[in-house]
Amino acid sequence: MKEYIRELFSGYVRIKVVGSYTELFINRCIEYHIPIWDIMRIDNQTILLSLYINDVKRIRSHLKRTRCKIRIHERRGFPFLMRRIVHSRGFLAGVIGCLLLIFILSNMVWSISVNGATPEVEHKLKQAAIELGLKKGKFIFQLPSNQELQQSLTESLTEITWVGVKRNGTTYHFEVVQKQLPEKQKALSPRHIVADKKAIVTKMYVEEGQAQVEENAYVKPGQLLISGFIGKENKSQLVPARGEVYGKTWYVSNVSIPLESKFKTNTGEAKTTYAIGLFRFHIPVWGIGAPDFKEYETLEREINFRFLKWELPFSVQTNKMLQTAEVIRTYTKSEALKVARTVAREDIANKTSDEAEIKKEKILHQEVENGKVNVKIHFEVIEQIGKDIPIIQGD
Amino acid sequence: MAKWKHNLKNWLTRRLELPADAVMDLPRITMVGQLHIYIENHQGVLMFSNEEVRLLLKQGQLLIRGKDFMLKTILPEEILLEGKIEHVSYLDRPES
Repeated sequence: MKEYIRELFSGYVRIKVVGSYTELFINRCIEYHIPIWDIMRIDNQTILLSLYINDVKRIRSHLKRTRCKIRIHERRGFPFLMRRIVHSRGFLAGVIGCLLLIFILSNMVWSISVNGATPEVEHKLKQAAIELGLKKGKFIFQLPSNQELQQSLTESLTEITWVGVKRNGTTYHFEVVQKQLPEKQKALSPRHIVADKKAIVTKMYVEEGQAQVEENAYVKPGQLLISGFIGKENKSQLVPARGEVYGKTWYVSNVSIPLESKFKTNTGEAKTTYAIGLFRFHIPVWGIGAPDFKEYETLEREINFRFLKWELPFSVQTNKMLQTAEVIRTYTKSEALKVARTVAREDIANKTSDEAEIKKEKILHQEVENGKVNVKIHFEVIEQIGKDIPIIQGD
Repeated sequence: MAKWKHNLKNWLTRRLELPADAVMDLPRITMVGQLHIYIENHQGVLMFSNEEVRLLLKQGQLLIRGKDFMLKTILPEEILLEGKIEHVSYLDRPES
């Protein structure tokens, strides 16, 4: 059996030996230690046998002595196979090239389709997608994952509530849910404008309706500011009140800032390891071993390849290990106060509408307790205080 | 002289329980059913065809008859023959 391997690797030939003294030829081969095997008789004059190609030259003298002639019947083994492959290398190159081309094309984006968006939004979406690198002819494995795409697209477009990203082979599908922007009501039904919160009125514009309060008046929530009734009492008429009322409002924000806080940051040191995944095995290729640093977080990414519609069983895995370091941030008392102020301002900005303006701020109370600075800040804000309520007619 | 040597060898084999084929240059023939025949200690191929193989031995010849013979392996002192073996017989060297 072990001979069999040798036969295949060194290559052998089946030759026909023609002559009257073929047995003599066999005996001479044995005598001179030329291995021959699988000898068969074909007819009186001819036998068929196997011989290593290296030995073909060596039998020449024996052939002469025994007056035999040989004809090559078959060539077998690896060297001949190689020769045949080399001989037809043009064809082989074509086949490999074709497979390679299909492989490359299978991993490209071929089309992008958008569903459920108006043409305008569709255009914007495609622009945003191109910014993220998603366009025709890009390699799929270079693109961020579907979830990442979905997240960044949803965030970048204001007109969109949600984008679903689905990849189907070489096609990307976007399923868009557009925001239903409420249309500005033109035909207004009769209404009043009342105060939304307690405030001191600072400014008033009345476009339609009748002002019920004056500037510098203190109003409580629900108090009528602009009335929808116009005209004299007996000839009153109902209109939709329109106007803007600005008032001074007050907020108190409690902020507590720890003087010392621990958090983790990336130091910028990173190590990336690469591995090839074959079926379910991971074969590390580059960057074997643990990183030089102890504390790190890892970002894993797996790139899969496709061939036509099939997922290939191999993939490239990258493992990025980012060094993290625990940082202790310490504030002095005055720094902590500064931070508390900005935090409080943000807090107020979240509570009020966009056009609100902070007029004054005042620290009411501050204390250091358990390593924290607790601050109570009072804000004076100018903002719109008006709120529409419809006038229900009837009775 | 030759006769005397042969007798001594014969006696030695029997006495010392040495394998006969080693001491006396006798062929050792192993057969697996009718499929294979394995002959050690031969002296060469005299005739080889599909139905008949004649091997030279130290003393005489070995004749194997059968069908579809093929010499699987052939080494200086060993032969492995494959085929359907029907008949194995010794041909004595004619006394001269």
